[in-house]
Amino acid sequence: MAGTAITGTPPLLQAEVRHDGRLLAPWALLTTLLASSSMLYPLIFPTDEDRSAFAAAVGSNPAMAIIFGPAFDLSTTDGFAAWRSLALGGLIAALGVIFAVTRATRAQEDSGQAELLASGVMGRAARLMAAVWMCLVFAIVLGLVTGLVTVAFGGGWNATMLLAATMTATAWMFTGVAAVTAQLGSDARTANSLAVATLGVLFIARGVTYALDAPDWVIWINPLGWMTETKPAVDDDWWPLLAAVALTVALLVVAFVLQARREFGAGAIAPRPGPARGRDRSTWRLALRLNRGPMLSWTIAFIALGLVFGYLATSVTDILGGDAALQQMLAAGAVTDAELVSAFLVTILSLVGIIASIPGVQTMLKVRAEELDDRLEPIIVTATARPRYYASNVLIALGAPAVYMLVAGTLMAALAGAADVGVTFGDVLLQAAATVPAVWTVVALSVAVVGARPHVALAAWAGVLVSFALTILGPTFNLWDWVLAISPYWHVPNVTSADADWWGLVWISLVTLFFLMVGFAGFRRRDLATQ
Amino acid sequence: MGEIDAVIRVEGLTKSYGRFQALKGVDLVVERGQVHGFLGPNGAGKSTTIRVLLGLLRGDGGTATVLGMDPWHDVVDLHRRIAYVPGDVSLWPGMTGGEAIDLLGSLRGGLDEARRAELIERFELDPTKRGRQYSKGNRQKVAIVAALASDVELLILDEPTSGLDPLMENVFQEVVGEAKARGASVLLSSHIMTEVESLADRLSIIRQGEIVQTGTLADLQQGSRTTIHATFARPVPDAALAELSDIHVDGLRMTATVDASRVGDAMAQLTPFGITALTVEPPSLESLFLRLYEPDADERAS
Ligand SMILES: Nc1ncnc2c1ncn2[C@@H]1O[C@H](COP(=O)(O)OP(=O)(O)O)[C@@H](O)[C@H]1O
Ligand SMILES: [Mg+2]
Repeated sequence: MAGTAITGTPPLLQAEVRHDGRLLAPWALLTTLLASSSMLYPLIFPTDEDRSAFAAAVGSNPAMAIIFGPAFDLSTTDGFAAWRSLALGGLIAALGVIFAVTRATRAQEDSGQAELLASGVMGRAARLMAAVWMCLVFAIVLGLVTGLVTVAFGGGWNATMLLAATMTATAWMFTGVAAVTAQLGSDARTANSLAVATLGVLFIARGVTYALDAPDWVIWINPLGWMTETKPAVDDDWWPLLAAVALTVALLVVAFVLQARREFGAGAIAPRPGPARGRDRSTWRLALRLNRGPMLSWTIAFIALGLVFGYLATSVTDILGGDAALQQMLAAGAVTDAELVSAFLVTILSLVGIIASIPGVQTMLKVRAEELDDRLEPIIVTATARPRYYASNVLIALGAPAVYMLVAGTLMAALAGAADVGVTFGDVLLQAAATVPAVWTVVALSVAVVGARPHVALAAWAGVLVSFALTILGPTFNLWDWVLAISPYWHVPNVTSADADWWGLVWISLVTLFFLMVGFAGFRRRDLATQ
Repeated sequence: MGEIDAVIRVEGLTKSYGRFQALKGVDLVVERGQVHGFLGPNGAGKSTTIRVLLGLLRGDGGTATVLGMDPWHDVVDLHRRIAYVPGDVSLWPGMTGGEAIDLLGSLRGGLDEARRAELIERFELDPTKRGRQYSKGNRQKVAIVAALASDVELLILDEPTSGLDPLMENVFQEVVGEAKARGASVLLSSHIMTEVESLADRLSIIRQGEIVQTGTLADLQQGSRTTIHATFARPVPDAALAELSDIHVDGLRMTATVDASRVGDAMAQLTPFGITALTVEPPSLESLFLRLYEPDADERAS
């Protein structure tokens, strides 16, 4: 039976690679860029003083530890590469395979494409098998390319190949996770959300455990912790990767068992009959309804983020207590506790803002997806004006992230304000509110893209990527201010500083307005997509 | 031509997708109170024309007027007075059919409650199922109920029955007939002749982005040909086949067509060869339609 269930895998795999292969390539390109660009370290930070100053800056801001993980050794190029690329490289590789597995299984099932294939000579498990094979092999390719290119630019062989292998291993584990969530969710969006949420929770958990110097067992129950514990360029331990392989196998077994049990097109949770009459009778209610599920999940996510980051803010000074270099600066009056905490808050709220822009962009891309699935047409053909339809969705795309920011901000403010760390409730909440316009600029870019240039819908993500690259990665490159200023988050003032410049928010809001106008004008004028 | 009361008037409409010209000057007039059949093979340009009429696409050249309005500029006012059923209905996966009907009805400005209930009953639609659970035919029923439950002046139906079973297709025909009786005008597109034959007052046939024929059923039937299938006792010499065309001879069996007015003459010439079996198909629109569909119909016509 096992034999027949996967009949037809090879031709399917071939079709899959031809169809989806080029969608995978960019993820490998990103990890390669990330790791190999670290080889510029000697150029960016040439002297030992530069390096220790940079290490102090990294050490004094736990927000960095959340994103990059712990810095074990920033005195060597390989050590820098490992710190900067291990966590993010794994994240990128994992996202790539999650989307690929879902695309090749769930999304096809939703679109009916798989039904055509399923009626051919093909076992029930063949589709999942083909998707899994494609991603496992892709993960190896990603690791090899990333490792070899980085070695070619001067990376040490053992440390670099281990670093690249952690990306492969992370991609393997999340191939397994996505294979399972594809069986649990009853459509592509749910399957993706489940897998990405798992990745996000584990990622933040790893950052927080390292930032807090949590006990060892907390690190070891997190599969992403295994990757960090290989410590490339410091200890060069390969054996934690074996645990990743074992987990991958276990997850895949679970996925295939689940797959054998469920019906075509159905998830683990069967739908019940719904209401015969509808209460949603406007485009606004429709937009709300279509975004309801994600809005609920994101709200929960931001409550969690607010609690975690708020708790971190209260312990920033404790965490930094052990840092000798920092103690010296503190003692010399170069920095105060309040300054450290507010610097931490600015960075972490920018990160929260960048995360908050993701659901905004998703809402706009959902508009495009509705259009491509022919569900916009019946709406526009009623007495609904196009700008009205668009406005309902834009309102959610801009409003929801603002609410998320304020939810996380309020929790952080409550926690930080209650602890005696030198910042008030009002400061933190105001900082969160001041970050909102930057989130809007990023989301507004996607409003412009979906409205005016929907064929390049992927460009809607440009704002998120650019602001992440410049605001979070930029400082590790020592980039010039005018480059950093491309990111709207650069213009967010530190509200506790005396010379806070609020004009930046005005400028980026003008850009936001421009993007919105382009989006609305485009959406009103263009042809709607036909299948 | 300007005298008639037209709900749709299209003149010289052109539309290109990139370099591909989908409409090459379409002319179409739908009179008020009539059912107008819009026939053509797949890819002929029916949906493109309809999408321009609905203001979803903007035509490149020519003019289109619907209910006296410009479909691109007066969208909202126009859409209050028309309803549309697409051939490929796609519903929100998590929304029930009933909810979708109410949503679309309200967006159009309300629907007739009694008729909504009656239509659901007649189409045997379960309104409590979710979008993703419906088959193609059932999704189409949802769109049909949503469109026909509101009182509109003009119904635009783009291959609306492509997923319905024959029983439901009958219900559909009745329902469209009733809409017509209430005074609605209908543009009904299809690629199958029989679907529109019984309903349409007038027909336009489109092929490769151009209207090749337009008129009443009777107009179109004129000049179409009767098909004869016959089996003979003896071989028939070529001389006896003078009246016939499209001749296929296979041993003693023959299939051919003859001008509808010359069937008698043809039979007189064939009888001497001992007809052992004979079927005569009356001039059917199907055959006319098939002939117009053939790619070289232009050369044949000239
Ligand atoms: N979005 C599009 N892009 C490119 N070509 C299209 C597009 N939509 C339709 N076409 C082409 O235009 C022609 C007319 O299509 P359509 O109007 O859908 O035909 P019909 O509805 O009569 O089957 C077809 O050849 C089709 O392939
Ligand atoms: Mg069509």
